[in-house]
Amino acid sequence: MALTWRAVVLAALGLPVVLVVPATGTVMLWTLLVVLVCVVDVALAASPRQVAIRREVPSSVRLTEPATSTLTLTNLGARRLRALVRDAWPPSTGAQSDRHRVDVRPRDGARVRTVLEPTRRGDAHADRVTLRTLGPLGVAGRQASIDTPGRLRVLPEFASRRHLPSRLARLRELDGRASVQVRGPGTEFDSLREYVIGDDVRAIDWRATARRSDVVVRTWRPERDRRVLIVLDSGRTSAVRVLDAPRIDASIEAALLLAALATKAGDRVELLVFDRRVRGRVASATGAGVMASFADTLALVEPELVETDWPGVVAQVRQRLSQRALVVLLTALDPAAVEQGLLGVVGQLTERHQVVLASVSDPEVDALRTARTGAAAVFDAAAAERVGLERAAVAVRLRQRGAEVVDALPDHLAPRLADTYISLKAAGRL
Amino acid sequence: MSTPVTTVHDAVVGDGTSTRGRSAQRWRRARWPLALLALVVGAGILSALPEPRTSTLTLAPDNPGDLGARAAAQILAREGVDVRYVRRVADVRTLAGPGSTVLVVGDYLLTDEQVDVLDATGADLVLADAGWALGVLSPSLASSGVAPAEAEVRAAACDDPDAVAAGTITAGGGLLATGPGAVVCFPAPGTGTDQGGAYAVTESDGRRIVGLADMAPLTNQHLAEQGNAALVLRALGRHERLVWYIPSLDDTGGGGEQEPSSGQLLPPVVPVLALQLLLVLVVTALWRGRRLGRLVTEQLPVVVRAGETTRGRGRLYRRGRSYGHAAAALRAGTAARSAARLGLPGSAGAPLVIDAIARAAGRRPTDVEALLYGPPPTDDRGLTQLARDLDHLESEVHRT
Repeated sequence: MALTWRAVVLAALGLPVVLVVPATGTVMLWTLLVVLVCVVDVALAASPRQVAIRREVPSSVRLTEPATSTLTLTNLGARRLRALVRDAWPPSTGAQSDRHRVDVRPRDGARVRTVLEPTRRGDAHADRVTLRTLGPLGVAGRQASIDTPGRLRVLPEFASRRHLPSRLARLRELDGRASVQVRGPGTEFDSLREYVIGDDVRAIDWRATARRSDVVVRTWRPERDRRVLIVLDSGRTSAVRVLDAPRIDASIEAALLLAALATKAGDRVELLVFDRRVRGRVASATGAGVMASFADTLALVEPELVETDWPGVVAQVRQRLSQRALVVLLTALDPAAVEQGLLGVVGQLTERHQVVLASVSDPEVDALRTARTGAAAVFDAAAAERVGLERAAVAVRLRQRGAEVVDALPDHLAPRLADTYISLKAAGRL
Repeated sequence: MSTPVTTVHDAVVGDGTSTRGRSAQRWRRARWPLALLALVVGAGILSALPEPRTSTLTLAPDNPGDLGARAAAQILAREGVDVRYVRRVADVRTLAGPGSTVLVVGDYLLTDEQVDVLDATGADLVLADAGWALGVLSPSLASSGVAPAEAEVRAAACDDPDAVAAGTITAGGGLLATGPGAVVCFPAPGTGTDQGGAYAVTESDGRRIVGLADMAPLTNQHLAEQGNAALVLRALGRHERLVWYIPSLDDTGGGGEQEPSSGQLLPPVVPVLALQLLLVLVVTALWRGRRLGRLVTEQLPVVVRAGETTRGRGRLYRRGRSYGHAAAALRAGTAARSAARLGLPGSAGAPLVIDAIARAAGRRPTDVEALLYGPPPTDDRGLTQLARDLDHLESEVHRT
């Protein structure tokens, strides 16, 4: 049962009547009339429960890209269906206009589309579809909310993909076209080609030169089929808000860029999301499917308010990696947390693998450090300075144990991590 | 990334409920609130029903207390007198007329105009404790001006039939006869009626005016004593109708015209119109009040900013007035950054750092040492100054 503005107009039409016949009985009669009209209209309205509702939603959409939820309504009843339809979605899906008017004859169908512009990563579950059918007079009607399943997976935005072309170009530069590359451990022999001025003379292959009339150099290319394990820390330090998003979002961007880059470079990428237990994993893979499964897994990662179990991380890494690999720890360089957790066990990782710790730093702390407006600001600046020194100290201790440390602002973390990966690859340290 | 696949879910028809099921559910949900409502309404009606209205007003016919007069009123009513209790003089004017009795209790709230209205009714008057009004209404009677003394037993000492029938009463006060045709009874013991009595009666223009100097005979407390009841009932029960008038403070309208209330000033259509507007309001509320489906909720991410812990630490420094800690942090930060800029290793000692910074900034080493390793400041100004000086020093450090 629901009324419309027409019912109000009907009630208000009684005002002039009352002016002509000013008696309480007139009001009573008019009230009776309004009730009667409403009841008749409700009785003549189509049943909202005799409508087949089918929902079509894209399985997944990237954050900030629009998606369309389509409802197909089929009128199964014998009456004409005049209705207001609401396709309810959670607020963060950014449904702009989720109310639609439909007019469907019996045995006929209609389709309504709701455009969603998601603003948050993760699974968005559609709520009920509410149908308000109106009677022939449009004064009153019936209403029902019907559970209609629907799920939209909002994938991470992957805004850092704009850094991908430049990093891929640098990767190609590495790729044995030029033999200026220092011959280091782990580089692989690629091919022979003519000497050009600028090439390292030590790269000249005398045996091949002797066979041909030209001077021939050997070229090298970076190793392929190395393994990269990205460990995303989803513990309490990842929940903190940096700028306008949780810290884990910047880590996810960095993980996606690194995965894309490493896949293109021919390495095998794995993902492990961990706090006290495994929250998500992508098995070692190469090729096109990697990015899709990465995005799918990372879409559902939510920070948990628990302390990360670093010995557990080490055990997981041991279990999954038998050979030397690049282990990227996406966590926070939080002095207290690192000292109590990671610092004790990082040695076990670095003795077998190349470890990179990537952390999102907070621009707010930098702003605090340089503020000088009054004594309170100077105390805050001193605290920020102290935090910075402690971070630097803990980073030094991590480096002493053989780990690379990348500490960057949210927007810079992904490209910085990619650069670190490329330079490690260039140095043959994978 | 691959193009997203559209998921088509199975069609859903209805929400699995029937009309009967829904009404049963509504009834289950509403029955306890309804039962509670019925209980409250029932209790209210029951508590309002049995007790007739009573008051605590002195000499009111519905006051069962010592100073009330419900006993007299009930006896009169049982004897067939139509007792009308009024508080407004306008009502007296409507109800009273020749052939009825008006009892006036007290006169200190009466205005001249109201006394004129009482006079104009032509009804018999009984004025209890109303000496001034008695004097105005009857030129042959007046109050002795003496406040009613303690009620005492007085004998009639006159030939008025009512007084004789009563014999003795308990009363005080005194009324004087100032003209012919007035009879004064019940003088104070040991005096004569010429010195005033508790009861006086006079007749003029076919109407009878009775004065009672004291309210005591009328009260529930004293009605049964001596001949009080006889006197009172005879005085009040002469006619079929008794208008029991107790002047009230808010009845200032004296004259003949009744004050119109605010409701009467409005045109008669207004209340009906208001009723219709109420209907419109209710319909509007029903229209706007029905939501199109429930609100959709979702979990929100954490909103604690990463800088909060740093700020908290700064505030702890400040509350603890630990200038030493704060200054040490600022100095260490400046020294570390300057040393890094000058290419010194992290393990470089203080003298080396001071020397390098002094050379780079073009300052004397003692000044730099005082700035970087001097005594800590002791107040807010000192700390702020130190921060500024360190900023200056840092800006001067360049790699040579």
